[in-house]
Amino acid sequence: MNSNMEENERGKSSELQDNINLLREIDFFAGLPMEVVKLFAYLCFRVTFKPGQYLLQQDEDDACAYYIISGEVELLRQENGLTESIRRYGADSFLGSLALFSPVPRLFSLRAVNDVKCLAMDRERFSKAVKQFPDIMPRLTKVIAERIIAWERHFILKQHDRLPTFDSTIGISLI
Amino acid sequence: MPKTSMPVVKRPLSSWIFAENTKFQLLLLAVIVITVFARVLPLEMQKRIINQAINLRKLDLLFIYCGIFFAAVVAANALKFTINILQTLISQRATASMRKALYEYILTLPLSFFRDTQPGMAVNALVNELSLPGNYVGMAVAVPVTNILTLLTFAGYLVYLNLSLAAVSISIYPIVLLLIPLLQRKANQYNKERVDLSRDLSSRIAESISGIHEVQGNGAFSIENRKFESLVDRLERVRIRWSIYRFAVKVANNFFTGIGPFLVFILGGYLAIKGRLEIGALVAFLSAQEKLYDPWRELIEFYQVYQDGRVAYQRTMTYFDVPVVHQIHPADRMPYALDNSVDIENLSMVTDDGIRLLDDVSLALKPGEHMALVGFSGSGKSTLALCIGQLYKYTSGSIRIGGQEVADLTKQDIVNNIGFVSQAPFIFDGTIEENLLYAQRAQRMDQNPDGQGADPSLDDMIAVLQQTGIFADVLRFGLNTIIQPGENPELVEAIVRARDKFQRQFGHDLSEWVEFFNEEKYLFHSSIADNLIFGTPNDPAFTSDHLIENTFLRSFLREVDLDRPLLTLGAELTIQTVNLLKNLPPDEIFFAQSPITSDELGPYQSLIEQLRYKKLHQLGDDTKDQLMILSLRFTPGLHKMVALPTLLERLILEGRDQLKDRIAEEMPNAVSTYRVDQYSHSQTILNNILFGKTQSQAPHVQERISQSIVQLLIEEDILEAIVQIGMKYQVGSNGDKLSGGQRQKLAIARAFLKASQIMIMDEATSALDNKSQSRVQNIIDNRFKGQKTLIAVVHRLDIIKNFDKIGVMKAGKMVEVGTYQELMERKGILYELQYGRK
Repeated sequence: MNSNMEENERGKSSELQDNINLLREIDFFAGLPMEVVKLFAYLCFRVTFKPGQYLLQQDEDDACAYYIISGEVELLRQENGLTESIRRYGADSFLGSLALFSPVPRLFSLRAVNDVKCLAMDRERFSKAVKQFPDIMPRLTKVIAERIIAWERHFILKQHDRLPTFDSTIGISLI
Repeated sequence: MPKTSMPVVKRPLSSWIFAENTKFQLLLLAVIVITVFARVLPLEMQKRIINQAINLRKLDLLFIYCGIFFAAVVAANALKFTINILQTLISQRATASMRKALYEYILTLPLSFFRDTQPGMAVNALVNELSLPGNYVGMAVAVPVTNILTLLTFAGYLVYLNLSLAAVSISIYPIVLLLIPLLQRKANQYNKERVDLSRDLSSRIAESISGIHEVQGNGAFSIENRKFESLVDRLERVRIRWSIYRFAVKVANNFFTGIGPFLVFILGGYLAIKGRLEIGALVAFLSAQEKLYDPWRELIEFYQVYQDGRVAYQRTMTYFDVPVVHQIHPADRMPYALDNSVDIENLSMVTDDGIRLLDDVSLALKPGEHMALVGFSGSGKSTLALCIGQLYKYTSGSIRIGGQEVADLTKQDIVNNIGFVSQAPFIFDGTIEENLLYAQRAQRMDQNPDGQGADPSLDDMIAVLQQTGIFADVLRFGLNTIIQPGENPELVEAIVRARDKFQRQFGHDLSEWVEFFNEEKYLFHSSIADNLIFGTPNDPAFTSDHLIENTFLRSFLREVDLDRPLLTLGAELTIQTVNLLKNLPPDEIFFAQSPITSDELGPYQSLIEQLRYKKLHQLGDDTKDQLMILSLRFTPGLHKMVALPTLLERLILEGRDQLKDRIAEEMPNAVSTYRVDQYSHSQTILNNILFGKTQSQAPHVQERISQSIVQLLIEEDILEAIVQIGMKYQVGSNGDKLSGGQRQKLAIARAFLKASQIMIMDEATSALDNKSQSRVQNIIDNRFKGQKTLIAVVHRLDIIKNFDKIGVMKAGKMVEVGTYQELMERKGILYELQYGRK
């Protein structure tokens, strides 16, 4: 490459480069080969939400996963007409990845608390990209499996004092 | 068409000889007889020229005979040409009729046939194998008749000349007749193998091409190559053997006919030496004997063409000789208009391997009842639906629709009464509208072959688009259309009016998501070319396709010092894009954000080496043009692999002003700058309404913008006009420019429009979003219940509550039937499916 071009490059980094850096922060993508991360970075897109707008809606299959670049979102569950706020997520959270693998109705809603900027990936792009690199599937399933186990371990530890009277819903990691 | 009702695969090859071609065949025969005569004439003239004209020194006779000689030669050649034309005509007509008839037949074969048949097989049969039999048909009458006649005539002449010599020379032919079929039999055997192998090869090719995503995705090149190569090698061997035996037939024939004179010399020589034969008679006999060769050789060639044609024909027809299970048209009545009740009794479907796909299923639906079939995959629910739709053939029991047994109905009865929406509906290459009207046009074509008759009204079409939720998509296709100058002037005017209203009503709200055209600002969602020109070209030299040849613009870019930075940017874009996309298949999803199209990837890839080792000024003009094309296309908001350098952004903004002035001075009217009161024919309808471009592809943004626009379009009364434009959207082959959900919606809309009395939906809504799914379900519940009978194979249990009956299937058996309420209370298998194991 000639020198002229490098000077231009120095000024700004491309959105692709920014996306690569963001994806490498996410455990889901971090372990993947650079070539794959680059393709995912190319295929994902930026989205903004204004306060009160929904990222995901309960019972809907939105087919999208979000990485929050800035802002805050609120996890909600509607039950019998009542909406309960469960917790909040801030920047660097990666949410909704199961929808990338299969159509699933969401069990929760996710709503923007303030101005939210996200990096988004949808199922169609994700699955076409995975098709190009079938070797990465085992790594992705590994991350999912580890997350489920970690979640339940955490849950069990929190409920420690209630032992041995676990209710019948426990055991999700045995799916 | 021949008056035979025999299916094409049962027709003997000989039946094609006179079918449709009797006149041509007779004409051909007549022409050949004349030709034979025209060939004999020069011989006679030759004799007369020497004997009469030259010997008697008569100049006038010489001219006359030479004239006749010349005319005969001209006539013989003209006639030969006519024969060729006639033969070609007959054989091509025959091949064409065979192709049409076989194609028509293949389309009606049962689905089970296509499960183990690759499309390539049918392609090969229709395209290649039928030309050999066609050749035979072209020769079938004239060649044998004339040659046998000639042969007999000369044989008679030989007998007349000398009986014993004639007997000896003719005695060879029976030997030839015994030997040649033996050789030909071997040739036929290899020809059969060749036909089969060619078919396998074609289907192999078709398979790997249709599965190219898998092949490239898994890098399975060597597997595919190995499979292909082994077939090609076998075909090579078989073809060599086939050809050797074909030549062997020719050689054997030549050999035996070649020993004819040898026998005549031995016997005739002996007789002449003994003084029992005159030398003159021997010479005359020898030259007459020579005349046998040509007709004989032609007969043998004809025999070979016949054998090759026959083998290819039989092999092809036998392959497709699968009984058509159901008649297409009723023979002696109008198609039924059936009562829409469905009665199924003891229905079973057992495969050849003895697997019971359906096992003693019984159910009854009254007219207008709705039934949902549920169960795990493999439980037989889809099989049952396909049996009711006559797409599968059941092996025992009965299905009666309106009291008529489904197995006995013709296809047309089914088509007229049942609407079928399959899991993966087939969408044809064409427009949305053509696909929407497909079922109805097919039905109409069947009733009157010229297909005359009215299509459903626009209102009806729009209604089904809305009912199935594809309306928004079609509207978007319409909004993304570019209206050509001069087209649709009223719409253009209305859009400009709507733009003003849009700015006032929504301009502020949407400013975050729309980049409005603004002369002072850089447009990140428009190309560099658009940023520079900032207007609608009136002169074609300023349209994006021609900019690179636009010398005015190119010299302008050099003068304002934009040339080098743009080339640099082009080089950077080439390197980054090729690097990113070089190993990916040409899928829209990978190339939507690329400045290089999938077709151009190859040429740009070959630039990479040059860019690595050469400096910009060392590149050739062609290469520079390629880089400039890319650079002018560059849209920072879309092509994110490269950032727009801040310096270049400023240079382009300055360039925009300078270019505007320069154009005004030197080429006034070449470009009209974007103005709020003018329509731009270089932009889509949507961009014209927005007077800008959307900045985000996120669904919620698109939806928000669509909502505002729809409201506006209704107010301005141009919604329908734009939807109509959207219905002209080309969906691509197999509809692959549509998403899975869009394809399903289109298929449901197609069935809704057809409005059959019985509808079968085989997981027809599986790819639909919730909103569309419940919209479709609402239509079914409110409009169709009590009117149209519905059988729906359902995978999502949240939509089954309103069905009149639910049938739960397991391992081919109907294990539970009842209303949702009943089955929930029973806490049986449906309960388990819904809530998991207790």
